Parts: sequence; structure tokens; C-alpha cells
Amino acid sequence: MARLGSPLSFHSAVWDTCSMASTQPLRRTTTEGDVQTQDAVETKKPWNVIVWNDPVTPMTVVVVIFKKIFGYSNNKCTQLMLAVHHEGRALVWSGHRERAESYCVKLQVSGLQSTIEQDA
Amino acid sequence: MAGSKIFTRRRDGRVEVRINDYGRSVVRSAFANVLAAERDPEHEWHVSLSGPIDPSLDHDNPTSTLARQTETSTNAELASLTVDEQFLNDAEAWVWLTTLQVALRSTAQTNGLHTDEQLAAADDEMLSYVHMIQSLLFELAACF
Repeated sequence: MARLGSPLSFHSAVWDTCSMASTQPLRRTTTEGDVQTQDAVETKKPWNVIVWNDPVTPMTVVVVIFKKIFGYSNNKCTQLMLAVHHEGRALVWSGHRERAESYCVKLQVSGLQSTIEQDA
Repeated sequence: MAGSKIFTRRRDGRVEVRINDYGRSVVRSAFANVLAAERDPEHEWHVSLSGPIDPSLDHDNPTSTLARQTETSTNAELASLTVDEQFLNDAEAWVWLTTLQVALRSTAQTNGLHTDEQLAAADDEMLSYVHMIQSLLFELAACF
């Protein structure tokens, strides 16, 4: 038997109050929302910020720019720089489109070749 | 040896610039060209300053391209204004680094230096310019 004021009884009391106070139907009458949600999920694939290799930029400059823009550790910046150097490109950040675009602009303003692309 | 460095981070946080007149003139010209290229669509570096952000689109978001244009110009302006200074604060040293880097990459793109092989095949004058900017960048990056 739960004591009065125990977490369980408090939770039940709150839940009951909320259910009673609600005037919204418990079931939806349309599936339109489902379709919209599915579309929304499709467009929520992350956006990747890509940095491309070039033959002139000194490696230390790339590391310093990554540190300044992303605040990554020295180790991570060096690994990313080496990935750009050896593979021709590297994914340096991934997330929402607006932030990806903003990071891409910061990289371009710093003189690195950068683009964004949506995750495949 | 500390005495031979072009850029030195001092104890008070400022970056000391020890560069001769020729070096200053090269840096001044690089900063001025970035500023001119950002403002003049006919400038040979302009294309390299307006590369795509999202290549899958025909036109990039105007807000982003405007932000890029404004930031690049502001950086180049501050770099130009401080080109004769002996001491740079952190923000000034940073705009020197980014504007020199923009100048270096614009030079490479404009002259078709997209690969190591193309760079190796460049003429002596071009190589000498690229190496000079690279050494300045290398030393300046060590201050951060």
C-alpha cells in the first residue's frame, strides 16, 4: 500500500488531474499529421560541412583554423587536417543546416575551401 | 632562435611583427587585393572568393553569401589598417592570418594551381611568391 504523499501517489494525482482537465480528443481522426511527420523526418537528415584539400595551404594553418572555429582539441584538429590532406576532403562538422552553412562561411572567410551537403 | 622569427607572441599577449619593407609591401598588396576582389566583380580573385556553399543549389542563400562578403571585407580592412603596426592584438593577428590565407588560395586558384603537380610545375616567380606567403602563414599560425 502506497503511503500518502509518496512519489507514486503524487504522480497518479497529477496524471488524473491532467487527463480530466484535457478537452482534446484522445485519438486522432486523420492521418495527415503522420504524412507530414514522415516528410519532416526525411528533411532532418544532418548536413555535413566538408573541407577540401588544396596544394598551398600550410597544414598548421588548417589546424589553427579548425581550433578557432570549432573549438576542437589539438588532436582532433590534426586528425581532421590529415584526413583532408590524404583523402582530399574531410567531414568536419555535422548537424542542422543553418549551423552547417554558418560554419562553412566561417571556413571560407578563413581561406579554406569548404562546402555543405546533406547526409546521404 | 626567437630573434629570427617574423611573428612572436609576447608575454603581454600581443604579436610582434618583425618584417622588412619588402615583406610589408607584399603583405600590403595581398590585403589590398583581397579587399578589392571582394568589392569588384571584375577582379581576377573575385571568383575564388565567391565559391559555392551548397553546390547542389543553383544559388546559395543570400544571407550566407552576404555574411561571407561582409566578414571577408571587414577582415581585409582591419588587416590593411594594421599593416604598418609593429604589434598586433589577437584579433588583428587573426585577420592577418585569414586574409593572407585567402590571398594565398586565391592566387593558387587564379593561376590554376589545384594539385601538387600543378604547383610543382609553376614558374619560379609564382613559386617564390607562394613560398613567401606560406612561410608568413606558418610563422603566424605558431602564435595561436
